[in-house]
Amino acid sequence: MVKGESHMAVKPPRDPQDVGYTWPTILAVAVHLLVIVFSLIKLPSMSAEPDSSSIVQATFVSTETFTDQAQQVTEQQAAMNNAAEPDVTEPEPPSDEPSAEQQAAEAAAAQREAEAAAQAAEQAEALEQAQAEAEAQAQRRAEEAERLAEQQEAEAQAREAEEQRARDEAEAQRQREAEAERVRAEAEAQRQREAEEQREREEEAQRQREAEEQREREEEAQRQREAEEERAREEAEAQREREAEEQRQREAEAQRQREAEAQRAREAEAQREREAEERRAAEAAEAAMQRQLAGEAEAAANAQQAQQAANSFINIVRRAVEQAWLIPPAASDSMSATIQVRLGPSGELLATSVVSSSGDSAFDRSAMQAVEHAAPFSELRDLAAEQQRTLRQFNLRFTPGDVR
Amino acid sequence: MNDNAMSIPHLIMSASTVVQLVMLLLVVGSILSWVVIFQRSIALRRAKQEYNQFEESFWSGVDLNELYREIPADDPRHGAEHIFQSGFREFNRLMPKTRSADTILEGVQRSMRVAWSREEDRLTKHLVFLATVASVSPYVGLFGTVWGIMGSFQSLSMTQQATLATVAPWIAEALIATAMGLLAAIPAVIFYNRLSNDASRLLGKYENFAEEFHAILHRNLQGRDGKPQA
Repeated sequence: MVKGESHMAVKPPRDPQDVGYTWPTILAVAVHLLVIVFSLIKLPSMSAEPDSSSIVQATFVSTETFTDQAQQVTEQQAAMNNAAEPDVTEPEPPSDEPSAEQQAAEAAAAQREAEAAAQAAEQAEALEQAQAEAEAQAQRRAEEAERLAEQQEAEAQAREAEEQRARDEAEAQRQREAEAERVRAEAEAQRQREAEEQREREEEAQRQREAEEQREREEEAQRQREAEEERAREEAEAQREREAEEQRQREAEAQRQREAEAQRAREAEAQREREAEERRAAEAAEAAMQRQLAGEAEAAANAQQAQQAANSFINIVRRAVEQAWLIPPAASDSMSATIQVRLGPSGELLATSVVSSSGDSAFDRSAMQAVEHAAPFSELRDLAAEQQRTLRQFNLRFTPGDVR
Repeated sequence: MNDNAMSIPHLIMSASTVVQLVMLLLVVGSILSWVVIFQRSIALRRAKQEYNQFEESFWSGVDLNELYREIPADDPRHGAEHIFQSGFREFNRLMPKTRSADTILEGVQRSMRVAWSREEDRLTKHLVFLATVASVSPYVGLFGTVWGIMGSFQSLSMTQQATLATVAPWIAEALIATAMGLLAAIPAVIFYNRLSNDASRLLGKYENFAEEFHAILHRNLQGRDGKPQA
């Protein structure tokens, strides 16, 4: 018995029936990896789900019912633009003094510059104001709205600043070009004037020289005549007469030449005048074109900004309505109602109407009440007048989706 | 953006150290418990198969001496075979020494009881670890959660504006600890119950076999004190 006991105690612990730990370990790790992989695969779709369930969708309705006030404003603006336009493009009365012309051109340029600067300042101011107000409104709303608005504003600001810089550069370039043009024109005129004077001076000298020679020749003849007076007085008489005739002819010739010279000078003057005129016209045309280009770029930038502002406004409205909406318990996921909302000038609710009903009147009523609770949308006042008009009326689509 | 910030790996990486340690502990416990689950499942299934085979050959009318001699002495068997081997060995050793049937049967019974208890120890090995993981890991996970939420409230006291967005990541990461604790505990509980049930049923079968074997020996001793003929 003792021997048996000892024999059993000595028995080696290694037993063939026992299972090793290698395979179980591998299987256990495999199970955990499987769990991790499943959690990684499943999660994105699960977290993406709540994002897709936006319960209120907003769509714009462009309306033809513009108010008189806004139209008046645009008409005033147009009138102002028209009034400002001839001021710049009207050709100045032609004047012989180039300095006066230059002064006028300079004055016009300065005026244009001042106008542009004033406009830019006004724009920047308006932009800043709009930004500040948009920021304030975004803070009042949810934090996410704030982040979104800030981002958009930063983008808009950066783009606006860049455009402003580009516009300034273009303006400076144009000014520099105009300056160079003016200097060149001045130099040319100076050169022409000098050449004219030179020519006149030479002609004068020529005439003097001719007159002198004539006189000398006359004296010679006189002397000869005196010497040969007794020899041939008749001849001398005839000679004198002939010479007088010749002199008269020469004088007439000189007179004619002078007249032709004067004519040429006048023609050159007219030519110069015409060239200056053409140049001025070309400059005016170029300036007009550049103004038009700048206006177009500005319009594009304004449109973009307006689009962004409209988007942020509609986001704010959508979120506010979403928060205010108490979904009736009887509503099913497939229900959908479209409510048309009309706003007053300061964002107060004028009217709500059901565009397409969900078929459940309680559901429609809850959607309308949500809009009424969310109103007024005072953010509308922060927008530009033109956007206000388009945003005064829009549709909101209510779908509970899979919110519950 | 939101997707990325709230994904589980991101939450685990951004958790506080204590919570991360808790999570590590739970992962290790879960892996070990699964190792035990697989190892025990395979071992118990084999033991069952071997018991069925042995029972079949035992009741097939073969000579017990033959059966005993088939088992090599230096290659100890398990389960019912082990009980049979130790009991029969004791019987053979006591037979020449005493003529008292009671003494022989007492020795055989004691020897078989020792073998049975060894078998029990072998079958239920590591199951205690499974039970420990099953009962402790929910509490460990809960500790991680409580710690994480404490941190979240501490951070909440620093901010001026208490919004859901400032608390949500903290709570989410804290709750991951509880989720992991449950993930470790649930399989451990299920498999602990299943495996311990299997083991106890197998041990019951061994016990039955030992009693039957004891009855056979007793029957043989009642007739003559010679060698038992099956």
